[in-house]
Amino acid sequence: MVDLSNLFGQKTVDIEKLTADKDISGLIKALHSNDMHTQSEAAKALGSLGPAAMDVLIRDLKKKDKDHHLVIIKALSEIRDPTPVPVLIGMLKDESSEVRWGAAIALGEIGDSRATEPLVTCLRDYDKYVRYGSAFSLQMLGWKPPDDEEKAFFFGGIQDWKAVGLLGDSAIPALTTILHDRHSIVRIKAIEILGEIGSARAIPALMQSLADEDSDVRWAAVLASEKSGIHLMHLPRSLSRRPSLKKNPLIAGFLNFVLPGLGYAYLAKWWGVMIFEIDIFLTVWLWQTWGEFSFEALLPIYFLLAVHAYYITVKMPETPP
Amino acid sequence: MDIEAMKNAQDIQGLIRHLDHGKPDVQRRAADALGSLGEIACEPLLRPLVYPQVNVRIGAIEALGAIGSPRSVEPLIHTLITDKSHEVRWVAAVALGEIGDKRAIPPLLASLKDDNRYVRYGAVRALEQLGWSPETDEERAYYSLALQDWDAVKKLGKSATSPLIDMLKVHHPAMRARIVEILGSIGGAVAERTCEQVLRDPDENVRWSGVLSSQRCGVPASRLPLELSKRPRTGPSVFAAIILNFFFLGVGYDYLGKWWGFVVLEIYMLLFLISQLLVGLVTTLIMMVPVLSVFAVQTYFMAKKEAALAG
Repeated sequence: MVDLSNLFGQKTVDIEKLTADKDISGLIKALHSNDMHTQSEAAKALGSLGPAAMDVLIRDLKKKDKDHHLVIIKALSEIRDPTPVPVLIGMLKDESSEVRWGAAIALGEIGDSRATEPLVTCLRDYDKYVRYGSAFSLQMLGWKPPDDEEKAFFFGGIQDWKAVGLLGDSAIPALTTILHDRHSIVRIKAIEILGEIGSARAIPALMQSLADEDSDVRWAAVLASEKSGIHLMHLPRSLSRRPSLKKNPLIAGFLNFVLPGLGYAYLAKWWGVMIFEIDIFLTVWLWQTWGEFSFEALLPIYFLLAVHAYYITVKMPETPP
Repeated sequence: MDIEAMKNAQDIQGLIRHLDHGKPDVQRRAADALGSLGEIACEPLLRPLVYPQVNVRIGAIEALGAIGSPRSVEPLIHTLITDKSHEVRWVAAVALGEIGDKRAIPPLLASLKDDNRYVRYGAVRALEQLGWSPETDEERAYYSLALQDWDAVKKLGKSATSPLIDMLKVHHPAMRARIVEILGSIGGAVAERTCEQVLRDPDENVRWSGVLSSQRCGVPASRLPLELSKRPRTGPSVFAAIILNFFFLGVGYDYLGKWWGFVVLEIYMLLFLISQLLVGLVTTLIMMVPVLSVFAVQTYFMAKKEAALAG
């Protein structure tokens, strides 16, 4: 996205004047400044304006604008007023992971104990940033995990893998949750710890990971499976269920039949589109000279092209697992 | 019909058909059922070893491994050596270990050199099960490589050199990069030559590993750039871009990754059509050649730049 404000240069904002004028909307605009100092000065100023400013900030949190949300959440975590806590708790369920992360941090900074329960739930988020932020905020709120299972979620959140591993069997629910992380390196870490724990309770989760989309995750899952007591004989079948990266021969054949050449383009052949264009010229030219008959003449050629595309797709080597 | 009933009726063919069932759970139960039938299921299970469906081959091998009949050893060895699917080769290696027949040792040793890490890993575990342990340093090197136990390989020193060079043939780039790194730390004339040769590897990480290892082996730095320049180019082909743009102006730009390539093509096509209607095809073609030549030259410079960026 092009940021137009960069094009014309940033105007210098006079925070003191805005504060004196009680210009809340002006100060909120200043929160969007690229200058860190201006941002926090504006936040401080809004904090000094009391409930009136807080009302506007909370109202703005209900608008649908992710970037604006992030800016206000940051200001709220600097102001540390407890009024917006319920709204911020609601934002822990936002669809944007950055907003969830920001809200988690702000709740820790504000330090209101109402946030504890929702933050504990966020330790189970699929996004590692949210888990990380929630764990630190819970620490700031003085929260102590009631049992080993919760402890595992907490240590998983702050990425203290060693501590998670030491919890043994109780860490399995937390590690299973972390296996849903989008980042393959985190998944690998969780699998390695599951292997170290070496418990039969981890088997269903590990079996799932054998069909992971990432090849290094699958390899880690094989090594961990053996330590958890899965019989080696059962691993190849689970691995064979991994998502295939192979192109579909039927699609290649179909495309080449209806739009000759595009089947090759689908297989990433650089001359695929060229054949497609040649076919268009040829069809138009033949149609002009032969009329209707041209279609019957071209049909067998299309059929051959379709068979060829199908055949070369089938013959393509499979990517190594 | 359900698996349990088929098992009780000893419906071997029915169970084999279920090895390719849509649900992996059913596949597994069918394989377990076949394995529990014992010796009578052995002969009928040998034929599915060559069926086209991977699931059926895997299931049959799982069952044969559970039955443990000596009659299945030779067919399983054949599968281990020849099957195209690595999962099938892998499960065959595991099954041979389970059956425990010493005839499987030489082919499993050969599988330590398989291109696929899962097959190598399965072969190592099977060999251990058969009571085999490495005797020579060369065997120890292949053994540790199959387990991806890099520290153990490093400790073998110079005697690991030739197995390491042999395993550079694998398709897995991370493994090749690791091998080159170890060769660099071992050193010696052969390792030195190899580290220099891998500068032509298609994978960037392997090449970089080669540069670092070459330096450590004492290859003069002045020799590296020339060697590196001989690597296969993975960037766009300059020739292809020119041909495409000369015949179908715009498609070449699309090939070079420009989003507006097809926009150019459509405009060109439209102008071509209009011109053809106004002045006829031959005149249009004569007019187009110099224009397209200019574009071809421009494409040449553009593609050169793109190729240099892509490395």
